Amino acid sequence: MKLARPPRRGAPETIVALIDVVFFLLVFFLLVGRMDATAPFEVTPPVALTGADLPGGGATVAIAADGALALDGAALDRAPLMRVIADRLAREPDLRVRINAHAAAPLSGVLPLAAEIEALGASDIVLVVTPGPP
Amino acid sequence: MQITRRHRQGVVVSLVAMVDVLMIMLVFFMVTSTYLDLDMIPVAEAAPDGPAQGGVAAVADAATADGPLLIRIGADGRSVFRGVPLEPTALTEMLADARAQDPALEVLVLPSGAADVQALVSAMDAVTRAGVTRVRIIRLEPRP
Repeated sequence: MKLARPPRRGAPETIVALIDVVFFLLVFFLLVGRMDATAPFEVTPPVALTGADLPGGGATVAIAADGALALDGAALDRAPLMRVIADRLAREPDLRVRINAHAAAPLSGVLPLAAEIEALGASDIVLVVTPGPP
Repeated sequence: MQITRRHRQGVVVSLVAMVDVLMIMLVFFMVTSTYLDLDMIPVAEAAPDGPAQGGVAAVADAATADGPLLIRIGADGRSVFRGVPLEPTALTEMLADARAQDPALEVLVLPSGAADVQALVSAMDAVTRAGVTRVRIIRLEPRP
């Protein structure tokens, strides 16, 4: 009589090594990723050679190439945006305001905005740039 | 007669669920992260002599004080000094020469409203590379 031999099971791969790798990747992306300075539209900051390191924190005003505005990732019109910034400046006079303008945005939409924010009492306004050759 | 109970084995926790969660977190962070290396250029900071002011009046005051150099940025994004369009490298050389004669040189940048942000940043770059520390961006405002 011939008995069918039960199929032999291969040795189970250890899943611990996989978890290790996934965990390292997770921590890597957590550290490298930057989730602030976001905008609901495409913003390519201008290229500069002499920029300083961008410190974290503060409010980020994004300006699109067509002049659309956003504050901390939420699209806003100019008047409500100014009201929100004025409120935040009243609570936090040293608030850093970061202007993340698209490289192709006309200055007629950027400089008056910066002047208006300065007139609200902001003493620390920075323009976001990206390092590299022009 | 006492029968010894068999030692009960601990429940084996499956690691597959944990790997699933880790994998989902990994994909989330990969998708939401941006990898732009960002720097900054200060536009306004608390200066010892008060905040910088825009407008025509500021130009008139500054022009009588210490003879600052005025660089205009045209609508096409080119820097113009005394009517002559200058490339960024030529602008840097010219300003470095001027600064060698006057270490406290002040530079005013008057951009056209039609120029883009990159043009202003490039001009600021050229001015900063020349070693000039006193830079002001000015703009014309219609008088009410």
